[in-house]
Formats: sequence, C-alpha cells, structure tokens
Amino acid sequence: MNQESRIRLERVGKSFSAPAGAERGTAVLADVSLELASGEFVCLLGPSGCGKSTILNLIAGFERADSGEILLDGRAIRGPGPERGMVFQQPTLFPWLSVRDNITFGPRLAGQAPARYLPESERYLRLMGLQDFASHMPWQLSGGMRQRVALARAWLPNPEILLMDEPFGALDAQTRLAMQELLNEVWQTTKTTVLFVTHDVDEALFLADRILLMSARPARIRQELVVPFARPRDPEEMVTDSAYGKIKRDILHGVREEAAKALVPEPA
Amino acid sequence: MASELILDPSQCPSAAEKAMLPAHSHSHPHPPGWRARFRQPLIGFASVALALIVWQLSGYLAWVDPLLLPPPSEVFRTALELLDSGYRQTPLWQHFLISVARALSAFAAAIAIGVPLGLGMGLAPTLNAVLDPFIQFLRPLPKIALIPLVVVWFGIGESSKFFLIFISSFLSIVVGAVASVASVSQGRIRVAQTLGATRRQIFRHVVLPNALPELFTSVRLSIGIGWTSLIAAEMVAADSGLGWMVINAGTYLRTDIVLLGILLLGLTGYFFDWLLVRLQRRFAPWAGRDA
Repeated sequence: MNQESRIRLERVGKSFSAPAGAERGTAVLADVSLELASGEFVCLLGPSGCGKSTILNLIAGFERADSGEILLDGRAIRGPGPERGMVFQQPTLFPWLSVRDNITFGPRLAGQAPARYLPESERYLRLMGLQDFASHMPWQLSGGMRQRVALARAWLPNPEILLMDEPFGALDAQTRLAMQELLNEVWQTTKTTVLFVTHDVDEALFLADRILLMSARPARIRQELVVPFARPRDPEEMVTDSAYGKIKRDILHGVREEAAKALVPEPA
Repeated sequence: MASELILDPSQCPSAAEKAMLPAHSHSHPHPPGWRARFRQPLIGFASVALALIVWQLSGYLAWVDPLLLPPPSEVFRTALELLDSGYRQTPLWQHFLISVARALSAFAAAIAIGVPLGLGMGLAPTLNAVLDPFIQFLRPLPKIALIPLVVVWFGIGESSKFFLIFISSFLSIVVGAVASVASVSQGRIRVAQTLGATRRQIFRHVVLPNALPELFTSVRLSIGIGWTSLIAAEMVAADSGLGWMVINAGTYLRTDIVLLGILLLGLTGYFFDWLLVRLQRRFAPWAGRDA
C-alpha cells in the first residue's frame, strides 16, 4: 500500500487569547507534529482539556494555527472544506430535515443529481441500520441512532479524511460499544483515513491502527503506539489477549501521569 | 439540487407512524391515553364554565350592581341587539371587521418588512449597530405617547390607525428576528461548512430554517402586542371599530356594550394566537426539540 502521508502537522503551535482580566493567553498546543498515512485509523488520546479537539479544529479549518504548518496531501489548509468530514460529540443534525435529507445534505448542496448520490445514501442507511428510519425526523430517534445519522452524513461525500471528536462520548456504555463495532465494520469497507479523538483507552485500542498519546497543556505528542491486534477485531477476543493488559497498563500509566500534571496549577 | 431543500412538511411522519416509534422518541410525560389527552382541555373548559356561572349568579342574586358588572345573559342580549340594529348606525359585524382589517393589514406589513430587516440586522453587525439604538428606544415606548404626533403626520384617517398598530408589532418583530439569527449554533454552521456549503447556502439552508421556530414565536408575541395597541389606534378620532366602541360606550356608561367589546377583543386575540401556534406546529414541527 502507498504509505505517503495524507495529513501532516509540522511543529504546530496554538494559543488562545487572554480573557479579560487575565495577563496572558493559554498556550494549548506546543510544537505538535504528526502524520497520518492514507487509509490509517489513528486515535488521539489524552486528558480532557489537553487540546485534542483543537488539533481537529485546526485540520478542519475552523481555526488557524499560530505557528507551524498543516498540510493535506501536501497543500496547506485554508478553511473548512468537504474533503475533510467531521463528526462531533453531539450529532448536530438539522432537525428540519428527515434522516435521508440530513445524510444527503452535502451532495445536494453541491448540486449533484439524485441518481448519483441516492444509491450511496441507501447503502449508508443500510450500513448504519437506518433503512427503516430514512423518512423519520431526527427528534424521533434515540441518541445512538442520531449519531449514526451524523456518521453517515459525514461519510457519504467520501472525504479524504474523517475527523471524529469524541463521537461516542455522550452515549451510554452499551450503545458506545455497539457504535464502536459498527464504526469498525464500516471503516473496513471504506478504509477512509480517520483521526479519532477520545479519552477512552479501550475505545482507542479497539479502533485504532496507531495511538498518539498527548501530554497535558500545552500539548505535545508524548508517545506513539502501534496497536498490534489483527483485524477484523472482536472486542471479546481482544480483551482476553495476553498482550491487551500490558498495553492498556502502559497507556493508562501515561494518561494518568499527564492528567496529574494537568491538575497542578500553572506557575503565575 | 438546492431547491430540493425547501421545507416540506409532508415529509413529517403521520400520527400513525409516530405511534409505531419506540417510547423514548416521545418527550410526553403522560401516556397518550384518551383521558390524559383530554384532561387539561376539560379542566380549562370547566374552569371557564364555572367563572361564567359565578358571574351570572352575581347579577341574579344581586351581589353586584348590574351597572358595574352586567351578567353574561345581559351581555348576550346586548350582542343580539347590536347584531340586529348596530351600534351608532354601524352594524356590530362591521365594527368587528374594520378592527380585524386594520390589525391584519398592519400585521402583514410589519411581518413583510420586519422579518427581512431583522434577519439582515442579525447577519450584518454594522446595520445592527446603526439601527439598534432607535429600535431599543422606540420598542418599550408606550405607543399612546405617539398619538399626537401621528395625528399631525397622518391625519385622522385610516393611515394613522394603521401606523400605530404597525409600529408596535413591527419593532418587536425586528428584535425577535435579530435574536432568531443569533440563535443558530456554531456546531450546525461548522457541520454545513465541512459538507462544502457556501456562505449563501449556509444562510439559506441552515440559518434560515434554524431561525424559523423562533420567528414564529416572535411574530406570535408581536401580534399580541399589536392587537393590544388597537385601542390606542382607535382612540384617534375613529367612529368605528371594536376599540372605539368600547371607549365610546364607556362614556355613556353602557357597561354591557363595554363588556361585549372586551369579550370580542379578547376572543379575537386568543384566536390569532391559536392560529399562529397551529401554523408553527405545521411549518416548524421541530421547535423546541433536540437533534
């Protein structure tokens, strides 16, 4: 497989301006460098508030870096664009549109003929188990179903990279597990490049090819870890694998160390 | 195709479809049984009936001087009388219709100008900064204070009445429309951006439909305010209309006619409000729901 990098961050720094009354702004990212190969599934793991979402927002083009470079296929990112899809923690559906119209929002605005996008959207409706709910309105769905609509909506335009910002963070544990398996299955068929933010170690181990462990603020990549489990993965088999416990312990150790640092007040 | 995104209420599921959904998709606190559904309206109906009975008894048992508070039976008799012979040479239904016509034409103009202006102000901070001080100054102003000026400017004809109703509903529609644009979540705009929407498409397909429920609410409130100012408008040298009838009958101590006018004014306002609630449910059924 072609291993050229799809997304590259080169020494990216970002601070947020000082709120009124404070003397200086908050440095969120310091010299973050990372690369994603085409077709890779990478999880960004780190303590909450460490700047994981900021990295996604920079790649999505919602915010601009103060320093460093962000490249998609060698081109600098200037603003949001359809080649970079995004799924947020909240489904953020359009409540005035049916499930099908939510999913096909992108292609329809791009002026595509229905004949071009409808077969694909029907395929995603089936993949996400939403085929019987295509004409329903978002408020009639459960939280997990809404997030499946959001996944299908982001996936349908076939973006070069999918950015996922703790997409299952607001779901209950059982739904989250089902969603992780579903995501794994769909990803197997599409092999889209994915950058997935989470603070859940098990989630990262189950989904990712590679895990990037972030430090406390200002964030760097503290540690990189290639997940050794073969695909397709089965969550039950994985947790009983003898390697699983050791890897999880290593990661947890790093996460806890960084979380502890985040609790120490910054020097004035 | 962009035009396919137009709101299509027919895409909303029917009641039968809703009934087949799992229970969690409904936010109703009560099971949708027959009794639960009619409990609240029945209580409301009984409450009104009880008030009418007490009111009637107050006259029948001479608790209150009927000149101060004529009982419902007398108000009803007056209504029949006025339907038959009119009030001051004008049939009752004409008083009613002229008031409704004044109000509706003013509402229509206030919505047609106020909604686009408010949306524009919500999108363009400069325009908002220019106009907002005037709107914030005029909006809480008691419109009765404007009557002398309005008479000087527009005379005592229909245009001064139209203007008074128009200005009171217009100002609050503008304020509501500005707020409805601001209520769009950053998340929805970002989602649309990552799906390739242009600025114009984001306005047309995200900001506008997102604002619709709140627009309905502000139109509803504004129509309430406009209908309230009908009395002020008909104080301006009128010789017809429900508001004028109430004021005029008061000077002759015809409290039965005053009460009849009040009932008609109140019921009509209630009907306008009910109509707008129906329209909102029809065209913005997602109002107040999470997605």
